[in-house]
Amino acid sequence: MSLEVRGLAAGYGRLEVLHGVDLDAGEGQLVAVIGANGAGKTTLLRALSGLVPATAGTVRLAGVDVTGSGPERLARAGLAHVPENRLVFPTLTVEDNLVLGAYTRRRQPAAERTRVRDRALALFPRLQPRLQQAAGTLSGGEQQMLAIARGLMAQPRVLVLDEPSVGLAPRLVGEIFTALGRLRDDGLTLVAVEQNARAAFAVADSVSVMDRGRVVLHGDAATLATDPRVTAAFLGGGVSAEATDASDGRH
Amino acid sequence: MVDLLQLVFAGLSQGAVYALIAIGFVAVFTVSGVINLAQGEFAALAGLVAISAAGSGLPLPAAAVVAVASVAVVAVLMERLAIAPVKRMTTLVSLILTLGVSTGLKALMLLVYGPNAEGLTPITPGGVTVGGVSIRYQELWILAVAGLVALAVYWFYERTLAGKALRACAEQPVAARLVGISLGRASLTAFLIAGCVGAVAGVLASPVYFTSWESGLTLGLKGFVAATLGGLVSVRGAVLGGLLLGVLENLTAGYVSTGLRDAVAFLLLIIVLVARPSGVFGRHAEARV
Amino acid sequence: MARRALPLTGAHGRRSRRGDVVGMSVLTVLLVAFPFLAPPSVTNVGVYALIYALAALGLSLLMGLAGQVSLGQAGFFAIGAYTQAVLVTRYETNPVLASVAAVTVTMTVALLVGLPLLRLRGHYLALATLGFGIIVTVLATESEFLGATSGIFGVPKPQFNARTYDSTTEYFLLLVPVVLLGLLLARNVVESRIGRALGAVNDSEVAAESLGVDTFRLRVQVFVLSAAFASVAGTAFAHWLGVINPNAANFPLSVSFLLMAVLGGVGTVYGAVVGAFAVEGLDDGLRRLIPELVPGAVGEVQLIGFGILLTVIMIFLPGGLHQLWTTARRRLSGSDLAAGGAPPDGGPAPAPDDGPLLARESRAPAGTPLLEVQGLTKRFGGVTAVDDLDLTVHAGEIVALIGPNGAGKTTAFNMVSGAVVPTAGTVTVAGTRVEGRKPHVAARAGATRTFQNLQIFGSATVLGNVMVGRHLRSRAGLVGAALVLPARREERAVEASARELLDLLGLGPDADRLAVDLPFGRQRLVEVARALALEPDLLLLDEPMAGLSGAERRDLARLLRRLRAGGMAIVLVEHDVEAVLALADRVAVLEDGVRIALGTPDQVRHDPAVIAAYLGVDPEDSTAVAVAEAGPGEAR
Repeated sequence: MSLEVRGLAAGYGRLEVLHGVDLDAGEGQLVAVIGANGAGKTTLLRALSGLVPATAGTVRLAGVDVTGSGPERLARAGLAHVPENRLVFPTLTVEDNLVLGAYTRRRQPAAERTRVRDRALALFPRLQPRLQQAAGTLSGGEQQMLAIARGLMAQPRVLVLDEPSVGLAPRLVGEIFTALGRLRDDGLTLVAVEQNARAAFAVADSVSVMDRGRVVLHGDAATLATDPRVTAAFLGGGVSAEATDASDGRH
Repeated sequence: MVDLLQLVFAGLSQGAVYALIAIGFVAVFTVSGVINLAQGEFAALAGLVAISAAGSGLPLPAAAVVAVASVAVVAVLMERLAIAPVKRMTTLVSLILTLGVSTGLKALMLLVYGPNAEGLTPITPGGVTVGGVSIRYQELWILAVAGLVALAVYWFYERTLAGKALRACAEQPVAARLVGISLGRASLTAFLIAGCVGAVAGVLASPVYFTSWESGLTLGLKGFVAATLGGLVSVRGAVLGGLLLGVLENLTAGYVSTGLRDAVAFLLLIIVLVARPSGVFGRHAEARV
Repeated sequence: MARRALPLTGAHGRRSRRGDVVGMSVLTVLLVAFPFLAPPSVTNVGVYALIYALAALGLSLLMGLAGQVSLGQAGFFAIGAYTQAVLVTRYETNPVLASVAAVTVTMTVALLVGLPLLRLRGHYLALATLGFGIIVTVLATESEFLGATSGIFGVPKPQFNARTYDSTTEYFLLLVPVVLLGLLLARNVVESRIGRALGAVNDSEVAAESLGVDTFRLRVQVFVLSAAFASVAGTAFAHWLGVINPNAANFPLSVSFLLMAVLGGVGTVYGAVVGAFAVEGLDDGLRRLIPELVPGAVGEVQLIGFGILLTVIMIFLPGGLHQLWTTARRRLSGSDLAAGGAPPDGGPAPAPDDGPLLARESRAPAGTPLLEVQGLTKRFGGVTAVDDLDLTVHAGEIVALIGPNGAGKTTAFNMVSGAVVPTAGTVTVAGTRVEGRKPHVAARAGATRTFQNLQIFGSATVLGNVMVGRHLRSRAGLVGAALVLPARREERAVEASARELLDLLGLGPDADRLAVDLPFGRQRLVEVARALALEPDLLLLDEPMAGLSGAERRDLARLLRRLRAGGMAIVLVEHDVEAVLALADRVAVLEDGVRIALGTPDQVRHDPAVIAAYLGVDPEDSTAVAVAEAGPGEAR
């Protein structure tokens, strides 16, 4: 397993948001985590990358227990987090954003870093002509591509993405998910949190549905895609209780 | 006309000193959100160390290096001992904390160097008169060295990985942590820069404006005014703010009254803060450095 | 640091009122005995300590109540001192009349300075006050009228009934009642409605404003009050020293005031006096000690102690000596503070019936439009977060605002409640236009809100939180509060009505606990109770269900239904779509800032545009795209 999460709990101050989440992502898998707003998806990712300390449970990265590590250490250990709202460095150029993405690899030979960069740019050719532009002047979609490319610059084992499609036109969503699919095919492990359930189902290998800080449904994408309980988890309508039962049955 | 030129020139060289100190404020504020009230003391301490080193027989350049190095050590110690240990750095805490360091440093200088103001020997003594404007060589040195240092800082932030990492911390601390940059180390680097530029300012200013244990207060405040004029987030703004302040002060001293010189800076500060919080040169309150 | 050391609530207040009587008596005895026990040189230090204590007290109020640092307190000190000196020496004014004039002048200056400066925050305000102090120094130095650098000489020792107070002992005893009176006034302000509101501002400015607190006005008031304290100190200083020069406005003096306030514990009234004695004692001691240790040391060497002390306190003891005292007391008395009846965490029991709640005669009849939003738009840079939103909410209905992440719900909500200034459009609450105004304007019009990420007043008890909600339903001002008597009766009424409300919501047993000690769900309920204390006609709830357990959600939903039955209008932004569809009368759905649907829960649930917005549109699925694009048109 590239990423193995067991019983992870985390929150902010008195408010526990995650109540014991399990998640597995095998090497070269794309796992989508979907769920309504406030289900705890973002907190899950923040706990994975050490931005929020875990209060219980374990996180293993390629077999190594990394629970409790800060984000700096996790970045070095091979976990790259593409944060919500992209958070590119706005006054730095696109090129410099990429350079900083490779901050943990700064002692590597320059040729190696250039190779990684070229690969990232091949994935998102729109960035190529904008390398010298300030990142803050990019469009939302381009910023998202830059944020992903910046994450790739660290040469991670696992890339976790927080809502890569939010606020983007459908065509761009397609473009980004195609890129994620290609990364998966190249052997990278990806965990993507998504609102856009249909886009996620189209490319993911397996899907976890979160509700109120728990994973309530889990299964491979093809099976879950047609499951009415998924719609229920988003829009309610009284199916949620059944969904919980189903997931209890699973565990 | 000659008067005007004379005043402007004197203002520029004084403004260059303010500009360097302002850069120190900007370097620390952007990364750690702290207004370092001890920034002026960095300059005063450097002046006094240089004077005593030169007095004990060291050649001037060596004395200057000793001064900058000791202040750099002080700045780093300050960050480790007083800033880093604080878990919840609120505005109130940061102000009182740096005020405490500033007061302590001041008293330390008084104890070690005594109460008298002294001036460092100028690098090149004397001066020259050009078209009726008398120019001290030291003032030219100030402009040249301050210009070089400002350029070097600018180059650091624009061209080096460490500099870009600092800007990243200032702009998006969360994303900076996610790419593996340590905010603690960034804060330390910022104080190191602040110490160095403050020290250079102090050494440069000493021959012309003299240094005493108390000079840090005014230098620091003027530096802060300059940084605020520039919006508190950019090196370029800090430099322009410093020069503008220096010139305005000298014009006031020349045409209105010498005594009101200090009042001008603070009047300007209050007006700018109330009317244009993003600074005279700033566009938005975005972190730029 | 924002934590104020004095408890704010009536309950604690009453307990501490008894404590205050004891405290004041002990302090009086100590102060009166001091000059008789101490040698004259020490009494001399004591005189300065008493004088500076007043200035530090003012600063402590400013920092503790308004959360603002002033580095220019010595400027007001000097204005008081100079005015007194000029009046007494040039115009032979009676010293008492002169000091009244001096304080008036200083307060006027403080008002004029405060009006522009208090628009600044944090660092900027601190540095601007520092600038003010330096300007005062410069002006005093430059003014021939004020004697330039040498200052004004010959201010006589005060005379009352042909008796001149010129020994240290006499002057000390003359100052004691002044300081005690100052303490009393300060204590009353801290304990008052104003102090409570300022404490709330310190904990959460936006929440306090949403309850109708006009923060700017209060800040200016405290700033002026703080200057008045400094100015009284200045007049006492002028008479004692006999000479007043520009050094009185000096920065180091402002620093010692700050040190006294911080050492004693910011916001604690006694702390300033204790701090003043400690700092003056230290000052005197170090002045003697350091030259012995370091031969040849001259000048203000004692500053080194100040510097170290300031730094060390901030790192290890941010609450000052007061923090030591409370910790020690808590240790001594065990953990009995939490006693007072461990409240049940599990089953609150808000009256089991489902009848209308908080109905009022004066309330608008159901169906009256209470909130009218027209063309509301917000752009951030190039992004339109909310686009031309229209919405009308009537008395006695629950309207929910839902939508996917980033749809603009929160922005829309914040524009209605006054936390965000709209780019265009109007918001009318019960006939009052509130768009772009601070939240307290909406509160006055009868609308208040709760917060998604709780904005509980952490330094107050549950009761204290709710009493802030009564801010607009009580009137006592700063002067009334300082003089106590007129405010007392009102305070009791406020406390009683707050307790009543807490009982109604099942929070009664928790009333005297610190609000931050409650579990999350109860804190949320405290926020609702606090909002209800305002007696609003329109209640705005920002994700009230987030973080609540199933039982808590059901209780809250029932509460909201009962409030609706009582005639209140409720608007809620909510993530929990299921809960919303079960609760609301009408639901508005936002996507990308545009209202894509508005209707009953059933209509919304089956609206294809809504389903597309929530589940996302499969980029390959062109029919879904078509539905999504056609959807908004149909919904409108």
